[in-house]
Amino acid sequence: MLDFLFSGWGAFWVTMGMLLPFAGMFWYVIHRKSVVDSGPGTTPPATLSRLEGYWLTAVFVIFVTINLASLKFMPIIATARAATGGLPVQEVQLTATSWSYEMSTREVEAGKPVRFAGRAKDTQHGFAVYHPDGRMLFTMLMMPGVAKPTSVVHTFTDPGTYKVRCLEYCGIAHHGMKDELTVVKSKSAT
Amino acid sequence: MTIATAIVRGTPVFGRMFSVDKSTGLEEINAWPALMIMASFIWLAVAGLLGLVMPATQMFDLDSGHFYTTLTLHGAALAFPFSFQLMVGVGLHRSGGCVGKPITGWLPAMCFITMNLGAALLTVAVLMGFKVSLVVMFPLPLVGAQMGIWSMNTVILGFTGIYLVLACMILFYPLLGLSMLFFGKKRQDLVLSERSLNDPGMLGMTLSALTLLIAGLPLVVVGTTLLLALYGVIPMSLAAWAADPVVFQYCFYIFAHNLMEAMALMVSSAMYATLPLYLADGTRKLFSDKLANTALWILLLTSVTSFLHHFITFYPNQPASLSYWGNIMSWGTGIGAAISIFTVLATIWQHGLRAEPGIIAVLLGWALYILDGASAIVTSNVAWAYVLHGTMWQSGHTMTVILAMSLMWMGVLYHHYPVITGRKLDPVLGTWFVRLFTVGGFGAAIAMLAGGAAGMPRRFADWNQEGWMFYGNMIMIFGLILGASFVVYAYNLLQSRELGDALGQRVGAT
Ligand code: HEM
Ligand SMILES: [Cu+2]
Repeated sequence: MLDFLFSGWGAFWVTMGMLLPFAGMFWYVIHRKSVVDSGPGTTPPATLSRLEGYWLTAVFVIFVTINLASLKFMPIIATARAATGGLPVQEVQLTATSWSYEMSTREVEAGKPVRFAGRAKDTQHGFAVYHPDGRMLFTMLMMPGVAKPTSVVHTFTDPGTYKVRCLEYCGIAHHGMKDELTVVKSKSAT
Repeated sequence: MTIATAIVRGTPVFGRMFSVDKSTGLEEINAWPALMIMASFIWLAVAGLLGLVMPATQMFDLDSGHFYTTLTLHGAALAFPFSFQLMVGVGLHRSGGCVGKPITGWLPAMCFITMNLGAALLTVAVLMGFKVSLVVMFPLPLVGAQMGIWSMNTVILGFTGIYLVLACMILFYPLLGLSMLFFGKKRQDLVLSERSLNDPGMLGMTLSALTLLIAGLPLVVVGTTLLLALYGVIPMSLAAWAADPVVFQYCFYIFAHNLMEAMALMVSSAMYATLPLYLADGTRKLFSDKLANTALWILLLTSVTSFLHHFITFYPNQPASLSYWGNIMSWGTGIGAAISIFTVLATIWQHGLRAEPGIIAVLLGWALYILDGASAIVTSNVAWAYVLHGTMWQSGHTMTVILAMSLMWMGVLYHHYPVITGRKLDPVLGTWFVRLFTVGGFGAAIAMLAGGAAGMPRRFADWNQEGWMFYGNMIMIFGLILGASFVVYAYNLLQSRELGDALGQRVGAT
């Protein structure tokens, strides 16, 4: 459930979930007060103040709930889990140059955390990994000239061929900057 | 006749839409705004068409270079010489009438020249091959030159253009706005509707000018250093610090993010000022000025540091603490939006609304802005940023925020148009403009967000995979509707009738 919520389509439906109630309210108020009856409202100020309180409370609750729920997906948490989870962490070191990647390996095992550590050599590049079903799992932003590599720890669940794409515009052949990762079944039982 | 009026007069087609009414003695506040608004619509006509060219290059599988050329021109022209210049034009007209000061002298001239000359130089550079997108993607310009994709001369030309555009946005326009608010003598004959700084319609303008000036300073220093090095005035080694990608990108986004927020503050305050004029019971007051001002202050305070959300996926180079801060501050702007939603709807609920096309355009633009705000805070959340950054979601957000603000300004312009030109617009055409724009604007926004949700990359000349072309087709369809709305709007301006027709008074016609 939370995994879906914090995916691309989850984001889309949450955004629509914010838009639709607003659009409904917006249409109702404007239609009613310009077409149906544009006379002065008879709602007592106290009622409006109460409504204001409910509305702002609801917004605040949504604010807190969503941002608390998302904490689990912070990269720092995945990094910490990988460090303390007892499983060996697979390392993929990569360097992005216009318009290709050098990778220390292109094969990783499912079920065990993988630490991607990326650097950009010439200009800004991205490294986005797409599930075989087309979903984007994560992207990273890499800039030249920084001391530390950009990193993400991800644990793949499904074996298969994963596409890699650059999502930071890097010049005229940017769309051709792609690669592949193979995720194989875990070799050692865990 | 001032230079500005003369240029408008001499411009074919577009000049007819904005020829200034000189019979009212208000030429001093009408002339420069009319010229800037006219120029902004010329940029819209060209760059809006380029918007349609983008999906077209993909559908017909044209050379990918065309896509990147179009992308750079479309984004840059619509964000700066269209949207920003439209805001400057209409916004200055508002300030002039609110504080009773003429818009004359060298500052408005510099605003106009730096913006349009800068945008023209950038356009030439892009046509010569400088395809860097509107956010420059530093150090891409230099790397592209090293790789021989474009020449160093185009880089110098492009940077000079960008520098001039920035000079308008960071220096001349804020200075002009602030000098009108705080200096000079008020002239009663120029006062159209007097306002004080406590008025939400004024507060936003002031906050906005200060934001541009302050948030833009680091970028001015970096940009000046780089430009001096490019022109060989100082050795490259002295500019090395400014050419560091992290330095450049952070300075860039501190400004670019706050530029959008400053424009939002400005247009929100214009809405707060315009809405009361269209209340059915003649109240001419918002539900609560205090709430309205609170929303503006929250927006300002939370937005200043929310630019950190641009670098969430740069972890650990941007520490998790800063990303999280950017996340929470971005969501904080949502609280400001919630307060302004309540203020606007309660105002209409209590006082009724005279639903004229101008105010409806403002309100629908604002509704589009709320949709955009929702998409913006969602992608600013650390978890969602990892699956949306670099996708069409971001382009959808960038385009929608600018589109929404433009629609609001086009609505506010309805209100100012009769004062500037002495002519009035046709309400039926106005209503059609609003309808088409709403369908096109919301449709294009949702199509782009959906593409992003499906993982479709932004700034990417190869949509024809993974089923992404579906979203491309949707963008094309809604883009055509959006384009139609602009045609209706322009036609309405061309057809406008003179207010004083009955008196046989020919005003401003050529
Ligand atoms: C006429 C219909 C329009 C169409 C079909 C259209 C299409 C597009 C498309 C496909 C993109 C995404 C490019 C990409 O990232 O791959 C885009 C980006 C953008 N559009 Fe439009 N657009 C239209 C009108 C407008 C208008 C009226 C504005 C401004 C008021 C605007 C402002 C922008 C901006 C600022 C971007 C971001 C560019 C970037 O991130 O590099 N567009 N547009
Ligand atoms: Cu790349």
